[in-house]
Amino acid sequence: MNDIIIAVLRSGTPLVYVTLAGVIAQRAGIWNLGLEGLMIIGACATILGIVVTGSITLALLIAIFFAVLASILLWFVVEKLKANPIIAGLGLTGLGLGGTALAIQSFFGSQSAVNAPFGLPRLGPAFGVYGVLSILVVLMPVVVFALWFLLCRTRFGLQLSACGEHPFAARSVGLNPSMMRLIALSIGGVPAALGGAELAAGSLQFFGQNMTAGRGFMAFAAVIFGAAHPIGATLAAMFFSVLSAIGIRAQLVFGDRVPHDLIQALPYLATVFGLWLSSRLRGGTNGAVTEIRDN
Amino acid sequence: MTDPHAPALVCQNVSVTYGPVTALEAVSTAFDAGLIHAVVGQNGAGKTTFARVASGLVRPSGGHVAINGHVMRGGNVSAARAAGVELVHQSFALPPSFTVAEAMEFGATGAGRFFTRSSLFARWRPHLESLDISVDLGARIRDLPVETQQGIEIARALVTQAKVLILDEPTAVLSPSGIEKLFERVRRLKAQGVTVLLILHKIREVLAIADTVTVLRAGRLVEGPLMTTDVDGERLSRLIIGDASRGLAAVDAQALTGAGTVEHGPTDAKPVTAAPVLKLSSITTFGDPEGPALQDVDFEVRPGEIVGIAGVEGNGQRTLVRLIADFAKASRGGVYLGGHDINTQPLAQRRSKGLRIIPFERNTEGLSLSSSLWENWTARALLEKPLLRLVNPALLRSECDAALKAWGVRYDNVAQKAGALSGGNAQKVILSREIDRDAKLIIAAQPTRGLDIGATAFVWDALRQARDRGCGIILISSDLDELFDISDRVNVMLAGRIVGTFTAPYDMNAVGAAMIGAS
Ligand SMILES: Nc1ncnc2c1ncn2[C@@H]1O[C@H](COP(=O)(O)OP(=O)(O)OP(=O)(O)O)[C@@H](O)[C@H]1O
Ligand SMILES: [Mg+2]
Repeated sequence: MNDIIIAVLRSGTPLVYVTLAGVIAQRAGIWNLGLEGLMIIGACATILGIVVTGSITLALLIAIFFAVLASILLWFVVEKLKANPIIAGLGLTGLGLGGTALAIQSFFGSQSAVNAPFGLPRLGPAFGVYGVLSILVVLMPVVVFALWFLLCRTRFGLQLSACGEHPFAARSVGLNPSMMRLIALSIGGVPAALGGAELAAGSLQFFGQNMTAGRGFMAFAAVIFGAAHPIGATLAAMFFSVLSAIGIRAQLVFGDRVPHDLIQALPYLATVFGLWLSSRLRGGTNGAVTEIRDN
Repeated sequence: MTDPHAPALVCQNVSVTYGPVTALEAVSTAFDAGLIHAVVGQNGAGKTTFARVASGLVRPSGGHVAINGHVMRGGNVSAARAAGVELVHQSFALPPSFTVAEAMEFGATGAGRFFTRSSLFARWRPHLESLDISVDLGARIRDLPVETQQGIEIARALVTQAKVLILDEPTAVLSPSGIEKLFERVRRLKAQGVTVLLILHKIREVLAIADTVTVLRAGRLVEGPLMTTDVDGERLSRLIIGDASRGLAAVDAQALTGAGTVEHGPTDAKPVTAAPVLKLSSITTFGDPEGPALQDVDFEVRPGEIVGIAGVEGNGQRTLVRLIADFAKASRGGVYLGGHDINTQPLAQRRSKGLRIIPFERNTEGLSLSSSLWENWTARALLEKPLLRLVNPALLRSECDAALKAWGVRYDNVAQKAGALSGGNAQKVILSREIDRDAKLIIAAQPTRGLDIGATAFVWDALRQARDRGCGIILISSDLDELFDISDRVNVMLAGRIVGTFTAPYDMNAVGAAMIGAS
């Protein structure tokens, strides 16, 4: 039982961090499909940071720096160059995947993976079998709570949601939706970097090309499944992790009798089902009236 | 500086252009503090634009606005709010998923940036109570009836110490009793020293509530502010629509200005004997999300008559429209269009039989705001064609252009998005689409809501002409003057039933009593 919990926490924690980045962007009105790119930038920068500086703190700061920078780039392309946010997000993902591959090749020649001498600090033997978990796992609930508080219990959070849901209403009370989106994306860069760091340096200590393997998109699915609520999306992300853990178990038990791809698709099938369910429960929304004269 | 009668709001040569459109042109005027000012003008005259400039939402391309003597940097909402100007929008602007308490909080300024649910309720309950708005603070904006939403919008605008409150067409969405309550609220604000600017269309309302009136036409200041004691309805309508007012029939002018009791407009009074174009026989519907179910409704419309439906909003008028449009289902009884049982027919088939609908909600049910004008306009014709028929967009565009011109819509070109039109012009697009030669039964749900007086008279004439061509018309309106003026017969709805039928000459008191069930 303990090993299942550990497996779920290990695979779920990076997903939750990245999901939180998606939640705050979604609230501000940007469908962030660049999560995958942000995550891999975070992962790569952490490992390279450790290798280059030898300090985990500096490595995390470097990861955060690059993830925030990439988020600001997304904001610039969407808000200033008026690009379609979906395309721009996918572009960011491409940039992250390609850019990190390029980065490790230029640092280390033609390798496709980099090993670090050490990873994130672990909890240690005092926690028994859970001692193998990294400190970012324990920090995760704190970050979730902090973001929940920021989004749901402060005026700033309401203003952010207003900018996403009804920009004209936000403008009418004197807010600048574009600036609020910049703030939201920049804040989101932090958990996205932590998610990447936990993925690469939490239980492992290496970075490999494409190592995020679609987790950013799964995080986006969790944002939608959780209706962009920090707690809801966190639960959705953990739910997906449980599903994949079950999938891996199933694979061990059933072997090749169940198609591997089907099991991998489980979280996405669950998302589709969840979206259908929640739209049934909430009843048809009568499409919010937006005033397109707002410009 | 604290002279109570110094102007609260001054406009100096304010001009606004949207691309090729000049919405305001060198408007200079001043509004005294502590009074209720009306701003009137035709659709597209620039009233909303004016309100947006004053509240800092739109930066004028020329001139400036001064609030309480301070010249404002244009296009800065925060500065305008800090100076005390607040605007309540024509189509409301609050995030629909917010609760009432959140809607108050997100626009607040000053201390108290963190909260819990209960502290938020505690913070805003007294504010709402002081404005006499009773509502559950945890209710979501999208679930509130429109009158409460407007109350919330006003409360939102007053979370800071507003000195100048601008309401853009606040009465368009309200029932007569709602309007009375709104005016009560506005008078109370005036007593507290707030300067109120009301953008209005109905001259009756201007004369009832405002101290002064200012008239805009085609982006220019025509006159004002004039003391309302110095003008009468006739002069005002002349100022608003210019020489066109001379063409108004006397009864229409009376219904428009609210001077004296309205009488039924002259008809050739030929008794209509043809078979009914629409017949509902003892219809009972299932419960409906948009109002009470219909109960045992017997109702018919003959070709060549206008049947008015009076009633307090929310008494089954929407269900009636939804039934005829195949959105609500009958549990019992029959619906006949032109003698055919249409109970099981989809809307497209009903439309091909000549059913036309001018819906209640123009922005969501009547138009696709993000589509072009010609796409909106041709939807009717395309619906009746087979799916794979080729269309000729150039031809459709020029047809649309001609039709919109004939209806006097103020627009730039037919490729414009429908959402860029002023409220009244948007309504005219729907009218031009729904009142056509092939129409046999036209349901007009609040067709003149938000229209200026010239356009209103235009709609009445269009409906009368359609009637004289042999159309059957159902007119649903909360404006009794309108109903009495053009209906040949008025039915009163109450709680999903038809509780009375009246014919001209109409007795205002009897109809009013039937509407609230006091007979
Ligand atoms: N964002 C915009 N883009 C292009 N044109 C606009 C825009 N906003 C307003 N206009 C045009 O400016 C003119 C004035 O519009 P405005 O909304 O101020 O009229 P209004 O007096 O409020 O009319 P109504 O009574 O119909 O509400 C109209 O011709 C309108 O089409
Ligand atoms: Mg307007």
